[in-house]
Amino acid sequence: MAEHVLVLVTAIEAGGPLRDADGEALGAAQALARERGCEVACALIGADVAAAATEAAERGAGLILTADAAGLAAFDGGRSVTIAAEAVGRAEARVVLIPRGPDVLELAPRLAARLDGASVVGATEVRTASDDVVAVAAVFGGAARAEYAFRAPGPHVIGLAPAVAEVPERRPGRSAPAVALAIPEADGRVRTIEAAPDVSGPRLEDAKLVVAGGRGLQDGENFALIRELAQALGGMPGASRAIVDDGWASFEQQVGLTGKIVTPDVYFAVGISGASQHMAGCANARCIVAVNTDPEAPIFTFADYGIVDDALDVLPALVRLARERGA
Amino acid sequence: MPTADASGGGLHIVVCAKQVLDPDGVNSFAFWGRLQVGGDGRSFDTGEMVPRIINAYDEQAVEAALRIRDARVDCRITVVTVGDEEAGAILKRCVAMGADDAVQIVDAAAGLGDGFRTARLLAGLIAELGDVDLVLCGRQGSDYDQGTVPAALAERLGAALVTMSAGVAVEGGTLRVVRVTPRGEEVVRATLPAVVSISNEIGTPRYPSSRRMMQARRQRPERREASDYEGAPGAVGVEVTRLMVPDVQGHCEIIEGGSAAEKAERLMAQLHERGLLGG
Ligand SMILES: Cc1cc2nc3c(=O)[nH]c(=O)nc-3n(C[C@H](O)[C@H](O)[C@H](O)COP(=O)(O)OP(=O)(O)OC[C@H]3O[C@@H](n4cnc5c(N)ncnc54)[C@H](O)[C@@H]3O)c2cc1C
Repeated sequence: MAEHVLVLVTAIEAGGPLRDADGEALGAAQALARERGCEVACALIGADVAAAATEAAERGAGLILTADAAGLAAFDGGRSVTIAAEAVGRAEARVVLIPRGPDVLELAPRLAARLDGASVVGATEVRTASDDVVAVAAVFGGAARAEYAFRAPGPHVIGLAPAVAEVPERRPGRSAPAVALAIPEADGRVRTIEAAPDVSGPRLEDAKLVVAGGRGLQDGENFALIRELAQALGGMPGASRAIVDDGWASFEQQVGLTGKIVTPDVYFAVGISGASQHMAGCANARCIVAVNTDPEAPIFTFADYGIVDDALDVLPALVRLARERGA
Repeated sequence: MPTADASGGGLHIVVCAKQVLDPDGVNSFAFWGRLQVGGDGRSFDTGEMVPRIINAYDEQAVEAALRIRDARVDCRITVVTVGDEEAGAILKRCVAMGADDAVQIVDAAAGLGDGFRTARLLAGLIAELGDVDLVLCGRQGSDYDQGTVPAALAERLGAALVTMSAGVAVEGGTLRVVRVTPRGEEVVRATLPAVVSISNEIGTPRYPSSRRMMQARRQRPERREASDYEGAPGAVGVEVTRLMVPDVQGHCEIIEGGSAAEKAERLMAQLHERGLLGG
């Protein structure tokens, strides 16, 4: 076998398709593989990965590696890393791309450390420079960007930010050789004893419209207005970390560097100042609307539309208009 | 990392902490367009105007360790940092909060964003300490946001790893850790030795009393050199070769109007016209 650029997809839920982020990673891998004169491999680690495997081949992967077991529907720490390490070996990968997701922060550096490689997560750009890959990622939540060179002998493991590449077109019927990876015993050192709530409802990350509130709401009770507007517009409510810390909203609603990364068509930032760490979670929205009393607030440098006014006056008006539209 | 019998000789907890530029200071510098890259092309030149502070997540890791002690677990808490000469300053705060010992590894290459190097140095020190059961780290540095150290350290030490913790309790020689996941909280049990990374959900760290601050000021951290542990100087994982400050050009259209309601109406009309409101 020869070198492949490896895309590593973990925690595929039973029978699930590839996610947008997985497709983007395949796109980014294709560009790198072309420059390196090799092919793309895709490792699929999860439960019932057949559908995802077919799709990966149809989207251009030339080698499919699968690890299929019910217990792999969620990222499984040390075990997932062991499987990923075998995939790297099978694909003879020097460059490993991991689509964005909640487990990257653990998987990328751990896999790299195990194989004497190195990792960069949150890469907004990956390219080839003097025969090696270079990754660019935000620092200080996005106030600046750093370009990283790889200095380790082992593989270069790169976790991707949203929208680094286009999802390659799907060519039905295209297939690729598939290899099953060994599935080791679960890593008994860490065991889940109380599972996270099984929320199967809509995810903030997938929402087409997000209405997010911040400290400018003045009081926790006013977050109800954010929820009402989101509901009236068929979207989902979000929050800045400041008000999650204050207990006005829940962590699952936090948008930003240390919360969710959202990519809606419209993002309302209401009473949010626009700190880089917040923008890291919403900068890829198609359109950002800011409502803020302070015309100098940083959020207006990122917004497409702005209203300089009190959130507590603007929100009720927006709710009313949204309801009229819906009715 | 051989683990001591946790029920017997007391638990040795190491907390890893780093010094960073105050992210709020960096944010406001960026906002006023004054964030500049220094002559080396890969660090900020803030003209010493932005203070260097303890990484907030690491301060929360110290808090997590102290809460283990508050729960009457017999333990010793050692804080360690890798950084330049000045970086040792953060250790005093950790000692004032309640840590027992402090060790600084002085490393000229720190600050180039290579968490793999930091993990290697920390692993060397932890092996030297010999009796470490539990390592607590912040989930990531608020400077490079990479979160490399806890993961790479666990791999190097062959220890269990639990990331994104909002609370750690020691129960009968094992850990009970509350983790923050995108779906909500989960609880895991982990064996020792372990590395646990602490997330901000753990809450506000305690404020050291002024008496403890005074005492801590006199205490000198133990000092080691990077050369005690490294194979070779310089980067071993990644190296920041260039920093770039984006030029954010605003393009915001301010919606004018006589009242909030009028502005709201114009905004909705705009969004509707652009087909951004779905159906
Ligand atoms: C390492 C790190 C990670 C972080 N991660 C995140 C993250 O994931 N997500 C996140 O959001 N933050 C994060 N932060 C915090 C971030 O830096 C900001 O502190 C936070 O986003 C500020 O929240 P805010 O905009 O709600 O509050 P503030 O910054 O206090 O802004 C409130 C805004 O409301 C406006 N306002 C006041 N009154 C009104 C009114 N009546 N009507 C309208 N507007 C009004 C004010 O003008 C101001 O602009 C992180 C910080 C660090 C250091």
